[in-house]
Amino acid sequence: MHVDKVKHDFEPKIVALVCTWCTYAGADLAGTSRMQYPPNVRVVKFPCTGRIDPVFILRAFQKGADGVLVSGCHPGDCHYMAGNFHARRRFAAFRKLLEFVGVDLSRLQFSWVSAAEGGKWVEMVTELTERVRQLGPLTEFRELELAEQWSGSTLTTPELKEAYQAI
Amino acid sequence: MNKTARKHDSAVLVDEGYWSSVSQAIQQEAVRLLEQGAVAGVVGYIAGRRTGTAMPVVAATPDEARQLIFSPACVNNLALYFTKAKKEVSSKGKLAIVAKGCDLRALAGLMGESQLKREDVYIIGIACAGVYGAHADRSQPLCDATIARKCRECTVHEPTGADAVAGTLPALQKLEPLEAQELARLEAMTPQERWAFWKEHFSRCIRCLACRQVCPFCFCEQCLCDRNRPQSVETTPRPAGNTAWHIVRAMHLAGRCGGCAECERVCPMDIPLNLLNRKMAKELKELYDYEAGLTPQEKGPLTEYKEDDDESFIK
Ligand code: SF4
Ligand code: SF4
Ligand code: SF4
Repeated sequence: MHVDKVKHDFEPKIVALVCTWCTYAGADLAGTSRMQYPPNVRVVKFPCTGRIDPVFILRAFQKGADGVLVSGCHPGDCHYMAGNFHARRRFAAFRKLLEFVGVDLSRLQFSWVSAAEGGKWVEMVTELTERVRQLGPLTEFRELELAEQWSGSTLTTPELKEAYQAI
Repeated sequence: MNKTARKHDSAVLVDEGYWSSVSQAIQQEAVRLLEQGAVAGVVGYIAGRRTGTAMPVVAATPDEARQLIFSPACVNNLALYFTKAKKEVSSKGKLAIVAKGCDLRALAGLMGESQLKREDVYIIGIACAGVYGAHADRSQPLCDATIARKCRECTVHEPTGADAVAGTLPALQKLEPLEAQELARLEAMTPQERWAFWKEHFSRCIRCLACRQVCPFCFCEQCLCDRNRPQSVETTPRPAGNTAWHIVRAMHLAGRCGGCAECERVCPMDIPLNLLNRKMAKELKELYDYEAGLTPQEKGPLTEYKEDDDESFIK
């Protein structure tokens, strides 16, 4: 498959938190099958979606991710029997909390991708990348990261900005 | 009668007799328990040094038990004294506790989480008319202006599952549900407006962690938010770390919080923490039909699952 390379002004940073048994293997399959997908995604692998603490998602947003993908085995396929069932409830609750605090949920995607679904992985990553590209950079967390409440005013020195860009 | 006194009279929610009869009932029960040697102590309230205040105490002798009171100043959730954080109290032997309805929910929650055994505690429940809010003028009696926000829409005035009940509930007036109104107002906002609302509140947080220390469910010996290797949540009071702290706190208490609103009461920066708690309680009730702390339950909504749980948000 040939894909024309298009240069965009804004390249979203996508962090994918994936389980090693299904989605990581699925992404690997996409790679070995030479499927093309946007290079914007950084994959972090975990033993199970049950190990993915909501705080990791928060941390990703704080540290500059414009979008986060969380992916693991389909229900019933968990290597540890029920890790993804627990994760499913936890993330359902976490989404409600984020929404209440005012975070745009279209930047956060959950999916089930099995080891055989290289194609689905490509689809997921492409879709999320394009969606986040349309939304533009996630500025809310970035502003928080730069804000320095107790110094009396917001610190927006060029040095700080540069340091932040380098993350 | 002067003018101000009359103004107060018209607003008084419960008459004096109620408080003294509850206090008497607590004293009687506590003295009986201690004299019979059924418990090693009674966790309750005594009058504070200043008028209109009260403080927690562990009464260990009948004489001390005769000092116990119940008044609108008895705001503390005494369930805290049964957690790991207060080992020195629970190591004294079997204890009795004076508990309002909302505090009973914390006890039930602690039992559900194996922090406390039912047989290790004797519960003196209070038919509770309400307590003072955080900034109440305590020279006034309990009235519309001084009652705590949580008490305005309380669902647990009558304690259930207690070993003894102190007092009888007087007729209660229906009050405007301020907290529910505020929650509805927030829910109707756009995400941007909500972000701005919380950003302003969270940025004031000084990370004193009083909200954590006072919460009966924050009993972890090592809090995730204190760890710095690896660090998940920045520990200094900067807006980024504060936001993370509040999200983590709300998430860790989701499905567990009994709604005693102690966290909000002790917050020196007036951050409306109970709105977050209430929101999560409401969502978990909708999602999994679970309400924390009404009766001890072995599993909370986030520690169990059903195979057919909703997954419409997952692709
Ligand atoms: S919330 Fe209910 S039980 Fe708790 S202090 Fe208020 S009136 Fe009493
Ligand atoms: S989070 Fe607040 S309201 Fe909930 S149990 Fe803890 S102190 Fe009480
Ligand atoms: S009590 Fe208030 S100021 Fe202190 S850490 Fe909690 S929210 Fe922040």
